[in-house]
Amino acid sequence: MPTVTIDGHKVRVKKNATVLDAARRAEIWIPTLCYHPSVLSEASCRLCMVELDRGDWRQLITACNYPVRRDIVVYASSEGAEQARRGVMELLLARAPESEELRAMAERMGVEKTRYPKVTESQRNCILCGLCVQVCEHLIGQAAIGFAGRGVDKAVAAPFRQPSEDCIGCGACAAVCPVGTIKVRVHKDQNEVEISPFKSRSKLMLCHECSAPVVSTEVAEKALQKIEINTEEFRELIRLCPRCRMLRTAKQLAAMPAYENG
Amino acid sequence: MTPPALAKLASPVDLEALAQQFRGDSRKASKCVRVCIGTGCTAKGSRKIYELFCEAAEQCDADVNIEAKCVGCHGFCERGPVVVVEPGEIFYQQVEEPDVAEIFRETVLGGRIVERLLYEDPATGKKAREAADIPFYSAQQRVVLSGNGRIDPTQITDYIADGGYSALAKALSSMTPEDVISQVELAGLRGRGGGGFPTARKWQSCREAKGSAKYVICNGDEGDPGAFMDRSIMEGNPHSVIEGMLIGAYAIGSRQGYIYVRNEYPLAVEHLKAAISQASDMGLLGKNILGSSFSFDIKINRGGGAFVCGESTALMASLEGRPGEPRAKYVHTVESGFRGKPTNLNNVETWANVPQIINRGGEWFAGIGTEKSKGTKVFSLVGNVVNTGLVEVPMGITLRRIIEEIGGGVPDGKRFKAVQTGGPSGGCIPAEHLDVRVDFDELTKLGSMMGSGGMIVMDEDTCMVRVAQYFTEFLQKESCGKCTPCREGLAQMLHILNGITKGDGEVGDIEEVGTLAQLLEGTALCALGKTAANPILSTIRYFREEYDAHILDRHCPAKECRGLFHYEIDREACKACGICLKNCPADAIAGEKKVPHIIYQGKCTLCGTCWDKCPFSAVIKV
Repeated sequence: MPTVTIDGHKVRVKKNATVLDAARRAEIWIPTLCYHPSVLSEASCRLCMVELDRGDWRQLITACNYPVRRDIVVYASSEGAEQARRGVMELLLARAPESEELRAMAERMGVEKTRYPKVTESQRNCILCGLCVQVCEHLIGQAAIGFAGRGVDKAVAAPFRQPSEDCIGCGACAAVCPVGTIKVRVHKDQNEVEISPFKSRSKLMLCHECSAPVVSTEVAEKALQKIEINTEEFRELIRLCPRCRMLRTAKQLAAMPAYENG
Repeated sequence: MTPPALAKLASPVDLEALAQQFRGDSRKASKCVRVCIGTGCTAKGSRKIYELFCEAAEQCDADVNIEAKCVGCHGFCERGPVVVVEPGEIFYQQVEEPDVAEIFRETVLGGRIVERLLYEDPATGKKAREAADIPFYSAQQRVVLSGNGRIDPTQITDYIADGGYSALAKALSSMTPEDVISQVELAGLRGRGGGGFPTARKWQSCREAKGSAKYVICNGDEGDPGAFMDRSIMEGNPHSVIEGMLIGAYAIGSRQGYIYVRNEYPLAVEHLKAAISQASDMGLLGKNILGSSFSFDIKINRGGGAFVCGESTALMASLEGRPGEPRAKYVHTVESGFRGKPTNLNNVETWANVPQIINRGGEWFAGIGTEKSKGTKVFSLVGNVVNTGLVEVPMGITLRRIIEEIGGGVPDGKRFKAVQTGGPSGGCIPAEHLDVRVDFDELTKLGSMMGSGGMIVMDEDTCMVRVAQYFTEFLQKESCGKCTPCREGLAQMLHILNGITKGDGEVGDIEEVGTLAQLLEGTALCALGKTAANPILSTIRYFREEYDAHILDRHCPAKECRGLFHYEIDREACKACGICLKNCPADAIAGEKKVPHIIYQGKCTLCGTCWDKCPFSAVIKV
């Protein structure tokens, strides 16, 4: 097991673990945006820069995907590392100035504002980290969205920027978006859920007891396909909203003999 | 020459016997007309000239064997189309269709020289009969380009007759893979794509990497503006690239190779395809090559033209069918590259050097060049230079010799200002450093780099801020957009440069660009972003006063940035012809017959029409 010396703390990690893994074990905070433990790290946002000791010089590396293969010395709080991270953050702030999540992270990093004007925008407040694309393709298995265009014109979009038929309205993209750009909007009057800004809509499944919206009908279907428990009871349960599901479970529990006797 | 029925070659002895036979055949053609079909000459109509020579040779009833042959780029593109007549190696330039009959009658049949088509030295007025007599060629040393201009790239027989594939035969019959690598190491060959990484070390790492399936890739995705070195090699001598890849694959232990060529190079694709098919027919590609246990195949992949696909990991992603975006190289491609397997990628020119090294020995190669940069380097010499074209020079030659001796200096009596080397990631080198030796490390010290070999000469009328702006814009457009610093940082730098060239520059802009440059160098994902600030940094380093003039005085010293200079009429030179007055779209010029005209600056829109139209050059930029 190689040892990572990070800001003076020594941590032993498995071979090929990342510097970020080591930093988290050492309880050292390194800001990340495009990193998510469930998907492959592409290191595209470049926010997690740290310095790697190369003997007579220091190399800036991305902590989220640098594999530890031997004993290394890393500086996460050095002037060089912090300057690099702040520089990247300023560029991101110039691109997505309205994101509250991004501003909060900037503040935590000690970046109050950006010196740069807004010169690029292919999609409002999107920093093109690509987490949504990866999650949709690799975890949900739908690949409803992808990257379109290149360079400053690059954007996350469904094919031809039309509402996608492949979108099942699960909202995983919104859950994983680090800057709050992707939103799940519920249109109660139409019983539909919309994934913004992709404009794709799905019919909502309503709770069979209280008629509250639960999830999109497609998600419910997919869930049943994916899960091996396929009893009548489970199928019924999945058609309820969380509240009704809880109530039913509580009722069942109350009916159990052990509880009757206190 | 009618191609003989080609049988598969079963051994190195077979190859040598065949080469002997071809050499005998070609001696039968006692006269030969070699027409350049490189891209430059083709653009000037050399294909038609070739066809006319073929017709003439066919219709000729003289008792000699006359052959018309198409050959790869001679390099002297400025003077194309180029036609060389054997025997005598008589070098005709700027040949046009009507000249064909005369050349055929006089030179081919009559043995006389058509004086008017010879190259004339503009300085001495002396006519040159052969290429060797032309200064453009005499300072060059052609190793990689030695076959260009001599052999027909579409005929494998021509390459074999010229000693082609003998290096492969030598490697397979008398060298172990380790021997091959040690010869390349002895040669000191470094990657010609720009990185300058020692080739032998790359091969060795790939050979040692774990895994049975290994790949070799030829990077033919040449994308620097104004560069056409690799194009000319692939078009003019495709077999040299294939032979180099075969030898490399043997050394590394690979069975499959890929050539990634940009789709904008249709002739290169055509010639490579034909070459691969001919080599396969003869058993030089495929199973058990030349009777050995070594098997190897090559596939061609056409790139869509993205500049970033010249970056090795982006190229491999593109080859796999994914978007051409780079990935981190913390794990090197020699360990995990194409399809996650050990992959060795080299540039076209690197591969083309290999057969020569194996044939002549690493020591011979190491005898050319400087201490740390060995061999020769091909450059495409373009821009404000008299002789534009493709040149191959020994490493260590000075920039001055390339530009002044080979290139013939700056045309129209203008003053030399700078030379841009290394493509968009390179930098501009000013006149005071012209005596620097061309060497990987020396050019880097000057803030530029060797790069893949683009060399753009600029004269005094070039605004260096605009040069920086041009390259930054190029890179910003070619950035894949994956990583933040490159995508956002380049856009910010371009925004600042646009402001400066428009006259909106502010004090502190240069420092701001410097900060961004440092940020990009440290944090960008791939070399495109890491080196993207070089054009800006090098122009600031050598031409800071031009930036200052734009920002502080709102003046463009080279008078290229519209709005940062104005037009005036020289009273002495003005003949009062009235042309400017008639053409001015803003009615900003006043004047009468015999009275020198004047421009009302308040009305002038700086469109430049008067400057364009004045037949006496009386309109001047101030």
